[in-house]
Amino acid sequence: MTSAVVSPRVRSGEWFMLYALSIMAALVFSAALVEATGGDWHPVVNALLDGSLRRPGRWGETLGTAAPMLLVATGTIISSKAGLINIGQEGQLFVGAAFATYFGFLLGGPGPLNVILILVFGSIGGALWAGVAAGLKFWRNVPEVLSTLLLVTVAGQLVAYGLSKPWLLLAPLADRGNRNQVSVQLAEDNRLPRPEIFGNEIPLAVVLGIVLAIVVSFALSRTVWGFKLRMLGRNPRAAQRSGVAQTRYGASALMLSGAFAGLAGAAMLAGGGFAFGNYQLVPGFSTSIGWTGLLVALVAREKALVAIPVAFVFAGLRTGSSFVGATGVEGRITDVIQGFLVLALLVPPALMFLRDRRRARAAATERV
Amino acid sequence: MTAGSPDQSRTGSAEPVPAVIFHNITKTYGAVTACGGIDLEIHRGRIHGILGENGAGKSTLMKMLIGLVLPDHGSIRIDGDVQQIQSPLTAASLGIGMVHQHFSLIDALTVWENVSLGEAGKIDPAGVRSRIGDIADHYGLLIDPYARVSDLAAGLRQRVEIIKCLRRDPNIVIFDEPTSVLTPEESHQLFVSLRQVVASENRAVVLVSHKLDEVLHATDDITIMRQGRVVDRLSASSTDAPTLARSMVGREVSLRSERAALGVLDTTAAGSQTSSKRTRGEAPVLRIRNASATGPGGVTLLDDLSLDVHAGQIVGIAGVEGNGQRELGDVLSSLLSLDHGSVHVGDTYVPSGKSGAMARAGVGVIPEDRHDSGLVLDMSVAENLILVDQSLVSRRGIIDATALHELAAAMIEEFDIHCSGPDAPMWSLSGGNQQRVVLARELSQEPTVLVAAQPTRGLDVGAIEYMGERLKAAAAAGVGVLLISSELEEILDLAERIVVMHSGSIVGEMPRHKADLERLGLLMGGIKV
Repeated sequence: MTSAVVSPRVRSGEWFMLYALSIMAALVFSAALVEATGGDWHPVVNALLDGSLRRPGRWGETLGTAAPMLLVATGTIISSKAGLINIGQEGQLFVGAAFATYFGFLLGGPGPLNVILILVFGSIGGALWAGVAAGLKFWRNVPEVLSTLLLVTVAGQLVAYGLSKPWLLLAPLADRGNRNQVSVQLAEDNRLPRPEIFGNEIPLAVVLGIVLAIVVSFALSRTVWGFKLRMLGRNPRAAQRSGVAQTRYGASALMLSGAFAGLAGAAMLAGGGFAFGNYQLVPGFSTSIGWTGLLVALVAREKALVAIPVAFVFAGLRTGSSFVGATGVEGRITDVIQGFLVLALLVPPALMFLRDRRRARAAATERV
Repeated sequence: MTAGSPDQSRTGSAEPVPAVIFHNITKTYGAVTACGGIDLEIHRGRIHGILGENGAGKSTLMKMLIGLVLPDHGSIRIDGDVQQIQSPLTAASLGIGMVHQHFSLIDALTVWENVSLGEAGKIDPAGVRSRIGDIADHYGLLIDPYARVSDLAAGLRQRVEIIKCLRRDPNIVIFDEPTSVLTPEESHQLFVSLRQVVASENRAVVLVSHKLDEVLHATDDITIMRQGRVVDRLSASSTDAPTLARSMVGREVSLRSERAALGVLDTTAAGSQTSSKRTRGEAPVLRIRNASATGPGGVTLLDDLSLDVHAGQIVGIAGVEGNGQRELGDVLSSLLSLDHGSVHVGDTYVPSGKSGAMARAGVGVIPEDRHDSGLVLDMSVAENLILVDQSLVSRRGIIDATALHELAAAMIEEFDIHCSGPDAPMWSLSGGNQQRVVLARELSQEPTVLVAAQPTRGLDVGAIEYMGERLKAAAAAGVGVLLISSELEEILDLAERIVVMHSGSIVGEMPRHKADLERLGLLMGGIKV
């Protein structure tokens, strides 16, 4: 019997080179694009850095933007570990924010306690919305890729309806002036604290996001629950035989993933800040944070700890982009840059994966 | 065998040029030498057996002949001319065809569509179908060209593979482990047609195998490989199985198929008779009653199947593959729900199809396809050892990495699993070692019942022997062992009670010491006797 075992050697140098090359390529493409649209790449870079880090108060803003992205990404990682593809975080986030708004006012308890309730009900809203997809999958066999995605649109309509009815989310006339479709603003003591450090307001949601990412990372790698979830994701039949029921564990993973998106929505509502408006729910409140969080998870490749820095990079692009407009270049160019970067960060793992698989296959066919 | 004297073709004219000459062929993968300086001649009109354990280099050598792998050094002559075989297309143009061990058929297509795969230009369906008919008549490989491959049993699928290969009319045909999925009857039939291909049409046939009796009985020349080298060249007429076995593994092995071939089946029957006396009167540890199950499209998978397994007993389920054995294994793995009937382990009723229920009730399973439900290839060896039960290495839901590492290291040691350590990814292990991981895990659960479905498929002689010993030891320790195998020799060797499955139900049974090959064969063919 041959015992020629292929040990997976980590060639960190190779990884580094691949990443350096592809990020370089993305930057070159981005610069070329800026030049081609009549701009100049140098001021654009400066604007990005000013907007995300250098100007007073901006890095706090970047952290605040990163927080919900990180929460969404962490949730996404939970469901993809279980082999489920949740791509409806944008909708789950929105529904979560709506739940948080509704129950936040309905209950309206004393300040700090109500903040916690707002976050809890946000999570419940997101979980229920993902639960619709989970129910469709495990009772009616509807692929969750489709249902989660399509439910994003439904969520938008649903919350818009809520925002048009005073008995649901619409603020009383006195509070909204002549504006339509806005909720009441959260009371001062119902907001997440934003302590100021070095002239930057740091919303507490960042701390929450980082702590939860660490907890989830630990839970997935070191607990029996995480072990079972990974088993389910990698081999559902082995999981079924070993007592990991797909309905129970799969549905709970999908709902938990939705809960994180909902929590992100609640944190945006209660965290406020430049990016997320005025502590009130409006149409389009989710501002693509759900989609970006999904990208963060994609780039972090199922590693919750890696999602932390990735979320900060993506948040930096977002906060930086608001300064780009001043250079005469269309601000949305950063969306394209972000797209390039996502691709750049995904190419190395894809290449490595293809190579590993080729080797594994070669190894497997050599000694079946 | 219906062979004409194989030597005539060589002595008839002047010494003919060998169909294939390998000269000093070397192929290395990193530090591993798959083939080191191989010299080999393959002649027309003869069947050349290449025998070796897993990893001996036989597959690599054949892949070089078919153009899937390029040699590092050395030359290959086809009919006397040096050829660079760069791709399977080159090989095909040289008249070399191969029937692969793993099927490369497309399930959703029909037989004739599969046969015409790889054709260039416009496909002529009628022509393909009539060609299939010709081949079928000529070689006795009967098949319905309109049948969908997904509906065919393994034996018939292989028949399609063979027809696919013969359709190109190759001069040199390579068979890679052709009988690993065939029943004895199907294997016999295959060798009869092989002999015909060789004798009447002067083709050269290479048979790659690790089954001794097969090589011994079906071939003319035998080359034995071990660790990438040719260790022996023998003539089938002047050797015997023990010689081959020694040569192949470099040590003595107990030859179960040899014992079966020589009719010395009852060497351990005395022992097993005492054990059945011991269990007589006791309640069975596994009791299946009137089990019925249907698959998609209303196909009957199990049909009113009843079966008992007693403690300390090995019950062998014989039968042609595709008669519900896989489904029986699935029921006992909680992967299939019964429509009717019940499963009891000891006195406890175990609901079918309920995740983990069978495993918790004490049913250990070595599944037919370990990659299907036995292992998680993307997890580590250590994690695969605790798939079913994490309680030993976890406290309050948190897995203790050190305890897991120690437990895995101990099991790796005990079961002699070759791997780079507990953290080695499962996919990095060879098939035999993957099987040992399954075995180690299932036995460490101290099961009441152990289901071993095709436990030695694709394993080499040493690993087969090891598995047999382990199953016997488990039975001796009081486990009720249910052995599901399509290799009759395996069942005759290990099981003390033999039951035959056909069309999803048990059609007959007999104790081993009364095993009657003819009756077994009839039962397997669905004839009640």
